[in-house]
Amino acid sequence: MAFEPREEQKELKYDELRIYSDEELNNYTEEELKNFKIKHDIPMCDDLEKGPWPSFVADSKREALHRKNLAKDRMMIDCDVVEDTLGQLEESFVDGETHWKHGGIVGVFGYGGGVIGRYSDLQKKFPSIAHFHTMRVNQPASKFYSSDYLRSICDLWEYRGSGLMNFHGSTGDIIFLGTFTEQLEPTFYELGHVLQQDLGGSGSNLRSPSCCLGKARCEWSCIDTQDMCYELTHYYQDELHRPAFPYKFKFKFDGCPNCCVASIARADMSYIGTWKDNIRIDQEAVQAYIGGEIPPNAGAHAGRDWGKFDIEKEVINLCPTNCMRLEDGKLVINDKECTRCMHCINVMPRALRPGTDTGCSILFGAKAPILEGAQMSMLTVPFMRCEPPYDNIKELVEKVWDWWMEEGKNRERLGELIQRWGVPKFLEVLDLPPMPQMVKEPRSNPYIFWKEEDVEGGWDRKIEDYRIKHMR
Amino acid sequence: MEDIKKAILEFAEKTKKTKFYFNEMEKAVRKVLPDTKARAVKKAATALINEEKLIYFSTGSTTMYGLKGRGQTEDF
Repeated sequence: MAFEPREEQKELKYDELRIYSDEELNNYTEEELKNFKIKHDIPMCDDLEKGPWPSFVADSKREALHRKNLAKDRMMIDCDVVEDTLGQLEESFVDGETHWKHGGIVGVFGYGGGVIGRYSDLQKKFPSIAHFHTMRVNQPASKFYSSDYLRSICDLWEYRGSGLMNFHGSTGDIIFLGTFTEQLEPTFYELGHVLQQDLGGSGSNLRSPSCCLGKARCEWSCIDTQDMCYELTHYYQDELHRPAFPYKFKFKFDGCPNCCVASIARADMSYIGTWKDNIRIDQEAVQAYIGGEIPPNAGAHAGRDWGKFDIEKEVINLCPTNCMRLEDGKLVINDKECTRCMHCINVMPRALRPGTDTGCSILFGAKAPILEGAQMSMLTVPFMRCEPPYDNIKELVEKVWDWWMEEGKNRERLGELIQRWGVPKFLEVLDLPPMPQMVKEPRSNPYIFWKEEDVEGGWDRKIEDYRIKHMR
Repeated sequence: MEDIKKAILEFAEKTKKTKFYFNEMEKAVRKVLPDTKARAVKKAATALINEEKLIYFSTGSTTMYGLKGRGQTEDF
């Protein structure tokens, strides 16, 4: 389906938008960098540069030198901001505590999200980071952008902020790290009016929806993840920017059960592409895999000799529901038992493909907090059609939000609310029947309790009689 | 809408807290106007933000509301 933007898309040309000249962007030599020392003594930060991995300390030093060599009137905040950031980090290591004060009332007009206030508590020592606010920029669907776009936002942030950025935050946003309050509105104006770029969600909002590459690049994608992400981002603008939820809420869209954006582990509402019919099998290609003519996993693990491909050992016996077998040399799949683990399709992509009757499964309740550990989402809607304008999906979303906004405690994620009230209540809210697969241990924990009106003829027994023998 | 805005401002002025959660504001509105829906409270709160009578306070993970001029009004 051709992309239809909600508003006319400008073609961004870096040559027209650029703030810095090539000379300004390449204003130091590698030799100069080697001899460069920042103005603070930072032995513990320096230590982080050792070892095999790229280090943010090394990157920060590059940026510090770059800003030092820029003319002072070419940056709207102090050129020492990066050096002071490293200096304060060293101080935090020494003191064993952070020197950032987090949160505040800063923001851009009318938006409750997208800006996170941050201040140093060592402002006298590190004046250039007295304010160090973060801005979250809503990433394009699938993080597709042109180098013109990237260069333009890098120039903007060099000019109005610290020049330090994260690509990308956990939710997917582009993160602009560190600026002063007075630079927030001008940055937002440039982003919105020149670069056609919105801020992302933060706080008790719908967070920036994110999606996998989808049909743009992946033949396994069962849904148009980019279109869904774009549509729901636009449709729920109010929820994205004006906070009224008990806590954060995340949508993530995966085109197939490989789950490349890990929606199952990180989104309160995960959309995972799936199919209703059967896995498509090309028996000739199956034979070619067996005969070693096609490398398994599309040659992804070809760096080592794993021996001859063994379909029994590497595919059939690894099927979690044992729904595959070879019959007279032909691969047979009992599709009713398939749980969409994707292993067989990943190993033999030329022979096996997802079905053609496609839609998405919807799961609820994942979260990935720093403390307490992650919680995976629960498969609640096994299959739903995903066609524009996605009214069926919006209807479901709003049922969930109405319940969560009504019953959720402050800072309670949807997954925690489901745990507190129980799955039966959640299913009742969504008006969905329970599935046997939702009961993990039916004999020891049958958490689907029937109501009298659900059972034909009702019953006569009383709970009080039961409690005589089964005390709480 | 004006009734809801009035109820919100009354709550924001009366409460001891300088910042409060959305649902605290919502409960306060329902005490005065029992059948008010959450979305209506949100619309009224947004209008008050735009009129610069209420402010958002964000920690990054959670957002709260406050009455402009009460509690923390300046940068640290």
